[in-house]
Amino acid sequence: MSIDKQLREELRKGADSMHCPPDLYGRVQQSYQQYVNEKRGRSPMKKRILVGIAAIAILIPSAALAGSYLADDIFGSSATIEQHGGSQEDYQVIEEMLQAAKGKLTEDEFKEYMELTKQMVQLKLKITDENGVVHEESLTKEEQQLFEQLASKLGPYFEKINATSNP
Amino acid sequence: MNDKELLPWLEKATSGDESAFQLVYQATHQDVYRTVAFLVYSKQDIEDIVNEAYIRMWRSFHTYDPQRPFRYWLHGIVVRQVQDWKRKAWRRIRLFERNRQMTREQFEWTDKAVLQSEMQLELFRLVRQLSYKLRVVVILRYFHDYALEEIADMLQIPVGTVKSRHHLALKELRKRFELTGGDAYVY
Repeated sequence: MSIDKQLREELRKGADSMHCPPDLYGRVQQSYQQYVNEKRGRSPMKKRILVGIAAIAILIPSAALAGSYLADDIFGSSATIEQHGGSQEDYQVIEEMLQAAKGKLTEDEFKEYMELTKQMVQLKLKITDENGVVHEESLTKEEQQLFEQLASKLGPYFEKINATSNP
Repeated sequence: MNDKELLPWLEKATSGDESAFQLVYQATHQDVYRTVAFLVYSKQDIEDIVNEAYIRMWRSFHTYDPQRPFRYWLHGIVVRQVQDWKRKAWRRIRLFERNRQMTREQFEWTDKAVLQSEMQLELFRLVRQLSYKLRVVVILRYFHDYALEEIADMLQIPVGTVKSRHHLALKELRKRFELTGGDAYVY
């Protein structure tokens, strides 16, 4: 047998006879714990600032996106309101209102509120001309009834939104 | 568990997942322990170095290059940890005391190992008597199967030096092996 081969074999056998003492685990684990604590506690302030920045970075675009989404649900796009004498600013005001509602109402309530508002807006758009003048007389009798129904259903929601926003 | 499977666990362990740490320890501790025990003989020192090697592992995981084998990186850490320890140890303890202690432990330990395996591990015993510089090359070459270039990289010495140490070690082993009459074909 060549010395290379025999060396390999004896080293392997020798290694097999060496066993890591089980109690060494406790010690290494302790060092590990220390490392983890050190790592976590290194600078909690710095970490908090980083988390804050990350949160803002995520929130800003989602707020901006959600902003256009909410009013878009009602109108389709800001072009709709511009065709009826509204401006981009009006659209923004409505958007803020919807955002406020979203914050104040529960999820189910908000869904219902959005649905009602949508119907209401459809009616209003129908009777509003391109100069923003409302022609209520152009509503049919059924439509008028629906309008009142919607208004009465929306009433409690408005109260709720306004009550909590101006206590 | 192979190296590839181990890596995600090591990463988790590095970021503080204790169960991942357990798993990594289970998968590597025998290898780490044996590598150290080949190079250092005092039980207390071996345990200190193993512990430090693990600490080094968490702390320098970010320097690990996933293109290279995990074991190679691990053994590099272990070997450097042993070198560090030796450098400090020589400063701390008087030379002759250290030598005496080492020799005594070495023989106690080897006898036990030989008894346990019921084998005549003559070469193994001789390797343990080689100087550290020769021994580390033999262990990396014949126990871990690294190429001489890899060993040079690990020990941060020129390949030529590794080659000459390797050559010297084998020459020494052959000489002592014949002297002790431990050759297999004598029987």
